[in-house]
Amino acid sequence: MSWYWLARTDEQPAAALAAAELSSGGYLAAFSSDGPAPPGERKIDARAVDPEGAAGLASLVLPPDGVSILFDDPAVSGALRAALAAPWPDVLSTLVVESSKFAGTLTAVRDGDRGRLASDPFARIFPAELVEVGPGFLGRTPAPTGPVIQRYGGGNPWPWDRF
Amino acid sequence: MLTFYRGWWCPKEQSFFRRLVEFQDEVEVAYTRMVSVSVDPPEVESAFRAGLGARWTFLSDAERRYLDEFDLLETTDAVHRPYVPTAFTLYPDLTICSVWNGYWTWGRPSLEELRRDLRTITKAIRPDWEVPNA
Repeated sequence: MSWYWLARTDEQPAAALAAAELSSGGYLAAFSSDGPAPPGERKIDARAVDPEGAAGLASLVLPPDGVSILFDDPAVSGALRAALAAPWPDVLSTLVVESSKFAGTLTAVRDGDRGRLASDPFARIFPAELVEVGPGFLGRTPAPTGPVIQRYGGGNPWPWDRF
Repeated sequence: MLTFYRGWWCPKEQSFFRRLVEFQDEVEVAYTRMVSVSVDPPEVESAFRAGLGARWTFLSDAERRYLDEFDLLETTDAVHRPYVPTAFTLYPDLTICSVWNGYWTWGRPSLEELRRDLRTITKAIRPDWEVPNA
């Protein structure tokens, strides 16, 4: 699978593959996985990012840099199960640090369904921020075929719909 | 695993799907995917799925587009015109491993039969089924 580095920045980064302004200030930016890791060293599913993507409403679960828990923590497994049971959003990717750490999620919808985001199961793990994401960042993550909650190899975000 | 089912209203389906819900706790950590198909509209399937606590994918063929193509119309039910209950285990390339005709309840797979098939499939597709040498 392919992934990008993800970072929240104060200024619009010049070297980003995609970047969009957040309604609460700053930018959400994705960088090539071939380049150096930005602060936080978070990886995001590449499908969740599209430089041509339309704006959307997102639940951004983004703990401070350096804060994470094990991806295999039962709290994360429980949130993954809840996400599979709920209506699937337009965009959903967990954020992974190194090979085994959970460091947030990006969940987004384009139809303005705040209800789906207000009940973000990943907000049980770290605080979530409901934020408008400008154009030029959000991709589309097709609904995975459940009920798999395991990642396809250490270091990869969930979900990924391949064997 | 691919299952075609009559609909939420069938007591046999309710029984079978409760067993599948129990099974999903194993499936979710085994890189195995499940899909269930019926002629119920999406909102009815969603309610059935939510009521069961299922976390796998339910697909709706409310327009009965594939009933004839798959030759799976339950001809004896002229009221619902549903899919005849059928279960498949499939390899990743969709080659059929086994098929069960669930027209009669005892024709459906037990969880043990599903486990056996999924072991067979996994063993066939995973070159490292035997622990690699150091």
